[in-house]
Amino acid sequence: MMKQTKYLAASVTIFSGLLVLAWVTHGTGVVRNDPDRNIFIPEELTTELQVRAAYDGDRIWFRYRWPAERPSIFNDVLVYQDGEWIARGGEEIGPDPDFLVEDRVAMMIDDGSVPLFSRYGGYITIGDRLSTFTGAPESEEERTKYLPSTRTDPNEFDSVLPESDLETLRAAGQFLDLWQWRSSRSNPIGLGDDGLVAEERGGDEGTGPYRTNFDSETGQPLFMFNPDVAGYRALSIDAVTGGDVGFNDTYYLSDETAVAFDPNADWQNGDTVPRRMLRQTSGSRGDVAMPQAARWNDGFWDVTLVRDMDTGNELDDKIFRDGGNYDLAFAVFRNASTMRWHYVSLPVSLGLEQPAQMVAERIEPGTEPDWSQPWTEVSMFYPGQVTWGRLTDPRLHPGADRIAERVPVAVRHSEEQLALYGVQMEFAEEIRTQWIWTLIASLSLIIGLGININLLMRRREDAK
Amino acid sequence: MTALTAASNPPKPATKEDDMKRSEMMRRGRRIAATAAALTLVATGAALAQSDGGAAGAAEAASAFSLSPVYHILVAHFPVALWMTAYLFILIRTFSDSEIAVRLQRAVWPVAVLGTLAGAVTYGLGLTIYPWSAITESPLGRNHILLATWTLSYWTVMTVLGYRFRRHLFDGAQRWITFALATIGALVITITGTLGGSLTGSPSLVTKSLSWIGWNVYTTFYLPTWMLVTFFAGAVVLIVIGFAGRGHRA
Repeated sequence: MMKQTKYLAASVTIFSGLLVLAWVTHGTGVVRNDPDRNIFIPEELTTELQVRAAYDGDRIWFRYRWPAERPSIFNDVLVYQDGEWIARGGEEIGPDPDFLVEDRVAMMIDDGSVPLFSRYGGYITIGDRLSTFTGAPESEEERTKYLPSTRTDPNEFDSVLPESDLETLRAAGQFLDLWQWRSSRSNPIGLGDDGLVAEERGGDEGTGPYRTNFDSETGQPLFMFNPDVAGYRALSIDAVTGGDVGFNDTYYLSDETAVAFDPNADWQNGDTVPRRMLRQTSGSRGDVAMPQAARWNDGFWDVTLVRDMDTGNELDDKIFRDGGNYDLAFAVFRNASTMRWHYVSLPVSLGLEQPAQMVAERIEPGTEPDWSQPWTEVSMFYPGQVTWGRLTDPRLHPGADRIAERVPVAVRHSEEQLALYGVQMEFAEEIRTQWIWTLIASLSLIIGLGININLLMRRREDAK
Repeated sequence: MTALTAASNPPKPATKEDDMKRSEMMRRGRRIAATAAALTLVATGAALAQSDGGAAGAAEAASAFSLSPVYHILVAHFPVALWMTAYLFILIRTFSDSEIAVRLQRAVWPVAVLGTLAGAVTYGLGLTIYPWSAITESPLGRNHILLATWTLSYWTVMTVLGYRFRRHLFDGAQRWITFALATIGALVITITGTLGGSLTGSPSLVTKSLSWIGWNVYTTFYLPTWMLVTFFAGAVVLIVIGFAGRGHRA
C-alpha cells in the first residue's frame, strides 16, 4: 500500500509540476518582431493622452499632452556621403533607432454624419490590406485608410465609387476631418496640418506646411541652413541621431533659417540637412494653426492647436457650432514611430458646453483659454492590424453580430483588451495552430493521468 | 517487469485465484487503455478536422446550426454546481470520518456523473453559439474552449475514479491524492466559469486574479512547442508509471 501511495504521489506531483510549468511558459515562442512581415510589437501597448478644449464662438482650441521619453524633432533628412546626398529616416517598421521619425498627434472629427464612427472610431477606416499591413500589395501608391461607404465593396481597396458618388457623399458630410500636428514638419513654424479621411486620407485643398528639399534632377538639396542665422550650413548626422540637437538650435529649414543650397561648399561626410523645407500654408489645408510652437518638457509633449469654428470649407472641415456635439478619435505617435505603429483611442464624445465625455469650455470672445478646466484622460492603445472587414465578418469575429446591432465597441472591450487582441491578430494563424496543439497535448496529459490513477488506486481489500 | 516484481515482492506460491484476479485486472487495464486511446484519437481528430491545420486561408468552418448563448449559459450552471458539490463532499470526507461525511461521500460519484453528463451537454451547446472559425479567432473564446475541454475531460476522469473506487478513494493516504486531484478539478471549473463570464462581458475578480498571477485571459493560453513535447512525454510517463506501479502491486 505504501509503495502504491508513493507511485500515486509521484504521479500527482508530475502532473501538477507540468501544470505549473505550463503556467510559467504559456504564451511564449510565437509573438516576436518579424520585419519581413512588417511586424513590430511596441514594448508598451497602452499609454495616456490628456486633452482639453475651449471655444469662444469664433475659434476652437484643443490642447494635447502625452508622455514621450525622448522627443523626436527630425523626420527624414539628407546626409552627405562620399559626394552623394542620401535620404534617411521618415519611415521605419516600428521605432527608428536613429530617431529620424517625428512625433505626432492626430485627431479625427465627425459631426454625426459618418455612420458608426461614434461607436467604433477609427476602426471603420481600416480597410483592405493598407500600407505596412502584413501581406499588403507592393505599390507606389500608399494604401491609406478610407471610409467603408466610399467603396462598392468595403473590403476591396480598389472598388472606389465613381467620382460623382464620392462628391455626393462628401456633400452629405460623409468624411472625417483630420487635424495633425507634426514635431518636425509643422511644429517649428507654429502650424498644424488640416486633412480629411474619405475615399483616402489626404490633405484639404491648398498647400501644406512643408515641401521637399530634394532636387531629384541634381540629386542635391534645394536649401541648406543659413550660416548667418544658424552658424552652420548643415548639422552633423551624429548630433542629429544622438539627440544633441535641441529646441534652442536651428534644426529646421524655413524662409527664416534657410538659403539656397551651395553645391560648391566644402561638404563633409555626415553633413545633414532636413529633407523638408517648411513653409506657410494656404487654403483649407492651412486652417489648423498653433498659438505658438510646442516644446517637449519633462517627459511630455504639450501641444495646442486652434482653428476657426466655421472655416467656410464645409467639404473639407467639420464645422463646430456652439451647443453642438461631436465625436473625436485621437492618435499619438512617439518613440520615433510612424504609420501604423501609433497609439489610438476609442471614440470620445465632445460637447460644446453640452454633456459629453469631454466638454469644451466656452470663453469670452476674443480671449485665449486659461486652461483652468481639468484634463480629459483618454486611454490610448496599440491597435495592431485589425481591419473593419474582419470585425464585421461573423466567420472571423464572434462580436460581428454585436456590430450589426450597433453595440459600441466600448461596451464590450477595454483599450487594454483591444491592444492585446491587436497583437494576437498579427499572429492569428500561428497562435491558433499552437493553441490547437495545446488542446490536444493537455487532453493527452489528462487521459494519461486518468489511466495512471485508475491503475494505481487500490481498494483496501486488494491490499489484503 | 516480471524481474522487477519478483525482486520487490517475496515469492509465494501462485494460486488459481491469484491467476484469475491478475487476469481480470489485466483485462480491466487493457479496457481502460483502449478507451483512453480511443478518446484521444477522437478528440485529436475532431480538433484537427475543425482546425485548418495552420493554413493561411480564411477559416470557413461554421457551426451546423446556431443557438442563442442563453441556453449554454443557463445549462452551464448545472455542471458547475454539481461538480463543485462533489468537490465539497470530497473535501468534507477528506477531513472527516464522521457518519455524515461518510454518507456524503457515497453521493460523490452519482453527483459527479450528473455533473459530467450536464457538462457534456453544456460543452455541446457552447460549440453551437459561434462559428468555429470565429470563436477560435478570439483569444478569450479559445481560452474558454481550452479550459472547458480540460474541465470536462478532467471530471470525466474523476467520475470514473469515483465510480470505480467509491469509498476507497479515502482509504489511508489515498484520500490526500483524491483531495489533490479534486482541488485541481475545482480550480479548472472556476477558471472555465470565469472565462465564460468574461466572454459575455462580465469579467470577475477571478479574471483579475489570474492576471496578477501571470495570465491575462485576453491573451490566448498556448504552450511553446517544447512544452507540447513535454506534455506528450508527461502523458506517456504517467501511463508507464501506472503500469509499473500496477505490476509492482501484482
